[in-house]
Amino acid sequence: MAGTACFIIVSKNDIPIYEAEVGSAAKKEEASQQHQFILHAALDIVEDLAWTTNAMFLKAVDKFNDLSVSVYVTAGHTRFMLLHDSRNEDGIKSFFQEVQELYIKILLNPLYLPSARIASSHFDTKVRALARKYL
Amino acid sequence: MSLVAVFAEFRRDWAEALRFYEEAYRALREETVVNKGLMIATSTRLPPVQRLVEIRAVAEQLFFKISTLLLHGGKVEEAIAWFNRHFNSYKHLVGLDEVSFLHWDWLSRQFLVFAELLETSSAAIPNTLSSHFGTPESSLTEWEIQPAYYYQLAANYLREKRYCLDNLLSTGDSEFSRTSGKVPESVMPSVFIGQSARLVEQGDMIEVLPLSDAEYVQYALSEAQRFQDSYEIIALFRKACESFTNLKAPRLASLCSNRMAKEYFFTEDFTDAKKLFDTVSSLYRQEGWVTLLWESLGYLQECSIRLDSAKDFIEYSLEMASLPIFANGDQEIPDSKREYGPAGLPSQSRREALQSEVLSLVRGEEIVSRTDRGCSIAVTKEQPVRIDVDIISPLRMVLLVSVAFHDQSVKPGSPVMFTLSLVSQLPCSIEVDELEIEFNQPKCNFIIINAVEEISAARSNGDNQDVRIETAPSIVLPTNKWLRLTYDVKSDQSGKLECLSVTARIGKSFKICCQAESPASMEDLPFWKFEGMVQTFPTKDPVLSFSGQKVIQVEEPDPEVDLILNASSPALVGESFVVPLTVIPRGHEVYSGELKINLVDARGGGLLMSPRETDPFSSGNHHVELISISRMGDDDESRIHSDKIKKIQQSFGVVSVPDLRVGDKWSCKLEIKWHKPKSVMLYASLGYSPNSAEAARVNVHRSLQIEGKIPISITHTFMMPFRREPLLLSKVKSLPGADQNVYLALNETSILIVTARNSSEVPLRVKSMMIQSNSNKNETPYSIQHVGGVSADDSLLVPGGEFKGVFSVRPKIDSPNLELGSVCLNWNRDLTLSDSEDSGVVTEQKLPAVIVEQSPLVVSLEFPPHAILGIPFLFYIKVSNQTNLLQEIKYSLGDTQSFVFCGPHDNAGFILPKMEYVMSYKLVPLCSGSQQLPQATITSLRYSAALNPSVTATTIFVYPSEPNFFVADNEKETILAKLNL
Repeated sequence: MAGTACFIIVSKNDIPIYEAEVGSAAKKEEASQQHQFILHAALDIVEDLAWTTNAMFLKAVDKFNDLSVSVYVTAGHTRFMLLHDSRNEDGIKSFFQEVQELYIKILLNPLYLPSARIASSHFDTKVRALARKYL
Repeated sequence: MSLVAVFAEFRRDWAEALRFYEEAYRALREETVVNKGLMIATSTRLPPVQRLVEIRAVAEQLFFKISTLLLHGGKVEEAIAWFNRHFNSYKHLVGLDEVSFLHWDWLSRQFLVFAELLETSSAAIPNTLSSHFGTPESSLTEWEIQPAYYYQLAANYLREKRYCLDNLLSTGDSEFSRTSGKVPESVMPSVFIGQSARLVEQGDMIEVLPLSDAEYVQYALSEAQRFQDSYEIIALFRKACESFTNLKAPRLASLCSNRMAKEYFFTEDFTDAKKLFDTVSSLYRQEGWVTLLWESLGYLQECSIRLDSAKDFIEYSLEMASLPIFANGDQEIPDSKREYGPAGLPSQSRREALQSEVLSLVRGEEIVSRTDRGCSIAVTKEQPVRIDVDIISPLRMVLLVSVAFHDQSVKPGSPVMFTLSLVSQLPCSIEVDELEIEFNQPKCNFIIINAVEEISAARSNGDNQDVRIETAPSIVLPTNKWLRLTYDVKSDQSGKLECLSVTARIGKSFKICCQAESPASMEDLPFWKFEGMVQTFPTKDPVLSFSGQKVIQVEEPDPEVDLILNASSPALVGESFVVPLTVIPRGHEVYSGELKINLVDARGGGLLMSPRETDPFSSGNHHVELISISRMGDDDESRIHSDKIKKIQQSFGVVSVPDLRVGDKWSCKLEIKWHKPKSVMLYASLGYSPNSAEAARVNVHRSLQIEGKIPISITHTFMMPFRREPLLLSKVKSLPGADQNVYLALNETSILIVTARNSSEVPLRVKSMMIQSNSNKNETPYSIQHVGGVSADDSLLVPGGEFKGVFSVRPKIDSPNLELGSVCLNWNRDLTLSDSEDSGVVTEQKLPAVIVEQSPLVVSLEFPPHAILGIPFLFYIKVSNQTNLLQEIKYSLGDTQSFVFCGPHDNAGFILPKMEYVMSYKLVPLCSGSQQLPQATITSLRYSAALNPSVTATTIFVYPSEPNFFVADNEKETILAKLNL
């Protein structure tokens, strides 16, 4: 498992709808805001990159020191953004795919308003479990 | 090896040079690895710290050479790969804690140098490169070839260096400082790269001595302290920020701006920091990145304390407190000051703390800065704080006001229900002391006071005596729950009544003023829109929540004055049509009344004139004209005093109405003249102040459609005298039906019959009919005499009835275009009213021009007025020669069944000049009744023109036997008398 990772789901209108620190322990140097700042800035790069490829999984799009940003763009242009320091690309890809399944389940909920925040604690638990499994 | 490379470079053998530099770099790398393993043991020449510094300096030199060569060769990707390798191999060589700042400084320099190299060689970067970014064969992103990317990282590492240096200095008890105590003097770079040495002067001799590690660290520290790293960092970030902005990457730019702002904050330049944080936070606010916004606002809050701006502090704090932070935020770590900035970790408890902090501030407590204990702000009575919230303000989350009138319009003076709804997203309930509601009609403003505060507040507000004060049991706004207050509002002034704003007062000297919003057009809160929270309506009635408006129309009071307009019949063109108008006050007294009259085309179009038509009958181009407005019942029929008439135009008039009591009556006549038949709407509106001159004006409107009609249609016909037929050559030659011209014979009398027909629906009285010549009366080229017709003056013309005038016309000159003047008919309405004794209306119609010519021959027929069956009678055809020439004619008479005749069927003859030729026939009628005489044809050989007498001229009535007329004696006398006349 990686030392640190920050996971954010950004809705199609650029608003974060879910965020989680999924690292084993937040490093002392870099705090969650720092990670969010990096992820927010990386949105610019994702905007550029997402339209150049058919792949949903965009490998490390941005690097910051030893951290890199991996992004998974769903068909509805919801973006899963992960800031991580591990190099385990396959693990990250599986993680994204599993999270997308969870996200689709959330979308299927008739009471869930698309682009609204994901407040489900079940989703949160599952995502953290997936992070432990793959990252 | 590096020497060989330098030599190769000198020879411009780039490939060779590159190869040797790479070789040298590799060798150095190997040595470093070895060194790393045996670190202290193998330090032969230099102490470990300086050894590391030396290795880094050499590596930098070599790398600089390599990347320059690569970039100049256009191998950007390779250069970047080299840079990454270089960075990866040295980034962990931090060295001892005391000198770690040197490492960060060095790293930062690597990025800076590489960025500058990239920038200077940017021209060499091929454009094709950017096309395959993001594809599997290239691991680079588009951003990695941008110098801005490296500038930004350089700044980051420089910041890292500053942190280390600060940490080092703040601990202050470095072993080095204790042991050596003194900074060595006159240290200078040695001849070898990356080494330093001390100059020692001994007399004239200058000796270069190596430094110990401790001495070197002291030297480096003192050198580092001299530098203003912050300015360097800001400059680098600014460079990156500008370049990202140019690349249309606002988020990357804002990341740089944010870092820049933090650096300003660190250097205590709060004005600049605040400016930057403001721009950054607006982006985060727009995109809804709550956590980032929270962080930026935290800095802004701190800046405003340091800048001593209580208003800004309150605004930022309130916004933070009402932000929807993520519920699953991390637990707060106690020692997290550096990590989270001044705002701390976004959490529910922090929001609540912020709210209570602000509330205590506005209630008079001081707030102390978190970073500098000496700084504090307070809200005092002398410096009250007022915050304005409009529809785009982020503070709508703090207080959102929606107001709705329950009706869309209201009568003046009658109350209307008004619901005021407030909602707040602050984490705790908030208690408001006073609400002030402001309307566009200041008389309607009112204040709602918290019942608890009532006594003290009401007493203290001595200056607001005339403002209505309401009390509410408590004005407490719970989180996300509408507080609904309903009151009656009464307005006396007609027009629009709009609620402008609601000001909430909390504490003695803090006010928050919210622009009022209509529930119908209210927008969602941008941050809370997607929150899974309970949505409620601002008003109890859901319909009102969707359609309620903050504006209501206050109607005019109902007029209690009668305005009567009358028009008995349609108006006739030409006459001055009189419309009586009466004002009768019923319930209101009329003060400073003003009557406006307006004439408008009933078929639309507004204006009553046609600019293209030129109408000779009217003064202007108006078809309908308002001539005057006169008082009814004035004996001398004088017009209203000129000062009372304010304005009369052709289709518009304003008249002042005197003050009237209830029971009085005022009337006037509107005189309107039609020039063209047209349907017209007459609008009369009376504006007045009821009961006193100052009261709001009331308007009464009446309208009446009046049809304008042509009263009389005039037609005319020309006839020759009975049984007389002049030969008009041009008439005979002209094609039949080619033109409608009238031909008259010169010096022959013709008959003109003018028929006037009443085409209106009212009986008219014809006063006279005459033909008026257009030219001078003495020299008329013709003579016209009235010879008969319906003779009596003032003859009544019932609707549809006709009036005929008979005139004899005798042209005196030969002219192809003789103007005969026009028919003037003087008429008036057949009214029994006494006041219609006017001179009548003249309707004029122009007669068309006639063609006059000399006729060479005139044929006249002579036979008795009637015949009796079987009794013969004589029939003469007389042809007179009007010329000075001998005329030869042929004539013939056809057969008919009704007559037998004696005389020639066909014959010819000559007529001497100015003489007459007579043909005589004797006819015996064979049938009774109206019979056609045999057809006579006279042909002039000279003009080769035939002349046939008309059918009417050759008709005779045949009695079966001698008629007997019995006439009473007295009637006989009358007839005789008339005949004598």
